Amino acid sequence: MEILVGNELTSGAAVYLDAHDNWVEDFYAARLFAKEEAELRDAAIASSKATGRILGIEIEAVTVKDGERVADRMREKIRAKGPTTKSIFDGEVFDRQHLNEDGHVSI
Amino acid sequence: MYRYDEFDAAFVRERTAQFANQVERRLIGEISEDQFRPLRLMNGLYLQLHAYMLRVAVPYGTLNSKQMHKLAHIARVYDRGYGHFTTRQNIQYNWPKLKDIPLILGELASVEMHAIQTSGNCIRNVTTDQFAGAAQDEIIDPRPVGEILRQWSSLHPEFSYLPRKFKIALTGAPNDRAAIRFHDIGLQAVTNGTGEIGWEVWVGGGLGRTPMIGKMMNSFVPNEHLLAYLESIMRVYNRYGRRDNKYKARIKILVHEEGLETIKGQVEAEFAEVRGGVLTLPQAELDRITAYFAPPEFKQLAARKIDIEREKILDPLYARWLENNLNPHMQPGYTSLTISLKPIDKAPGDATADQMDVIADLAARYSFDELRVTHEQNLVLPHVAISDLRAVYDALVAAELAEGNTGLITDIICCPGMDFCALATARSIPIAQAISVKFQKPERQAEIGDLKIKISGCINACGHHHVGHIGILGVEKKGGELYQITLGGDATEHASVGKIIGPGFEAEQVPDAIETLVDTYLAKRESAEESFISAYRRLGEAPFKEALYGNA
Repeated sequence: MEILVGNELTSGAAVYLDAHDNWVEDFYAARLFAKEEAELRDAAIASSKATGRILGIEIEAVTVKDGERVADRMREKIRAKGPTTKSIFDGEVFDRQHLNEDGHVSI
Repeated sequence: MYRYDEFDAAFVRERTAQFANQVERRLIGEISEDQFRPLRLMNGLYLQLHAYMLRVAVPYGTLNSKQMHKLAHIARVYDRGYGHFTTRQNIQYNWPKLKDIPLILGELASVEMHAIQTSGNCIRNVTTDQFAGAAQDEIIDPRPVGEILRQWSSLHPEFSYLPRKFKIALTGAPNDRAAIRFHDIGLQAVTNGTGEIGWEVWVGGGLGRTPMIGKMMNSFVPNEHLLAYLESIMRVYNRYGRRDNKYKARIKILVHEEGLETIKGQVEAEFAEVRGGVLTLPQAELDRITAYFAPPEFKQLAARKIDIEREKILDPLYARWLENNLNPHMQPGYTSLTISLKPIDKAPGDATADQMDVIADLAARYSFDELRVTHEQNLVLPHVAISDLRAVYDALVAAELAEGNTGLITDIICCPGMDFCALATARSIPIAQAISVKFQKPERQAEIGDLKIKISGCINACGHHHVGHIGILGVEKKGGELYQITLGGDATEHASVGKIIGPGFEAEQVPDAIETLVDTYLAKRESAEESFISAYRRLGEAPFKEALYGNA
């Protein structure tokens, strides 16, 4: 299965296209495209690019096992959750970047 | 240090206003991302994995306290309260919002700073020895020439669209602390037979996917002709550097493929044309710029030896800090002091806004208002009276900045890696953190002595892994991370490129692998005085390889 990921213009936050044509922060809400849905997927990419608000759109492979989806690439696992490094402040991992109030994009 | 004249101030102000307008037009959709991307990159603004990243130039690594306070302010107001000091002597902010970038650039301009040419295929921030203007072994302070190079290269009309990025480093001391042999152009101050000071010119060094040691193109270029000579090199590179393949576009490839003598011949031909022309550097202009870098008004102090053995009894951690974090100063009674940004289990190079403020205050009070950023991702107070060391140390302890590990195994260079960088293929910071935890005991670090570990999260080598005594390169393999280990790299005047020792390791295996290498060194060294790199050069890779992989 595949998902679409990009970065939102104003915040730079990583976002995913969901099943309602909204670009959202939640990896688990990302719409899953089957192989035979390539046309739909590409149309969604074109529409998203047309908004001018979603940057660097990428198609990423995910595997769904026992109802749980996992990005195939380590890079995407990190993008979905935020940096894994311990923060300089409290040793906790960094929170990911969030969308601004005006950062919601739909196609 | 250098202060902007009216031209500099107007130049930065106008550029800031120009980019503010471009950001505004991008936000309202007047220009597309394809149009905006090169514009933002010219102003140091990248889009990374999670957010934008703004890279701010610190010319030749020199800052004053006002500038450092401003960097802290920006971190606090526009980012997440910290900044990341880089191997290019710059600072990066990992979480800015696009709409805030013009405000940040305005803040920077107010203290004579900017982000121009911290990205793109242009001449990047000129770097130098962090102890410039202070080091005991220095022939000349390289910063005046560094400033002249900054002025020459800023928005140079011929060199704003080079085949690829271009990095220049210079050092005024024979002991190379600026890795000049791994830059596109490296400049080493030398004295000729008549006592005149000029520059050895090294060309075609670099790291990345094709690491190469620079080759000496000219053994002595006087200050008068330096700009003309460099312009000649740039013209030859701009003319013949490959634009068809970004992986072969750096000048190191041109020099390697065409041969040094061929390129040198072309440079000399160009130089013959431009020598004595408008690029001639008048001594009066060099003197004018040099005046900005005049030594501070040092007190006349007696030379003073620090009794580290006594301090080892009284306060071992202070003694450790004294032993590792000081560098000899040219002025009796003074020293240069490295503030380690490598606390155990933290990200190398990071400093909080509060820490930056503390460091700025210490610079103002104890170091004639001067600060330096090192390419090894630490900070330096270049001119501290030895009698003030205890007070500085106590303030650093309070700010959690008193790690006495400079040059030791936990003083690790490390790129942001896949936790932040869009290009990375593996994480690097967690590896550095795990290694620092493994070797956190001060006695263990002291036993090992000088050992430079450098970690990159991809082949682009921002973490300088090729020149680590132990280098670690993270790569992607089957959707996961794998770490290759190289041995024998050296960024100094004894330049060498590390060699891959064998098959890679999983992330969690890396600290143990490093420990195996260290234990092998400790077992095989001739004495405690023989450093890791010396032992490796004497022994070769065989015992290390056997220790890691056995005899199979």
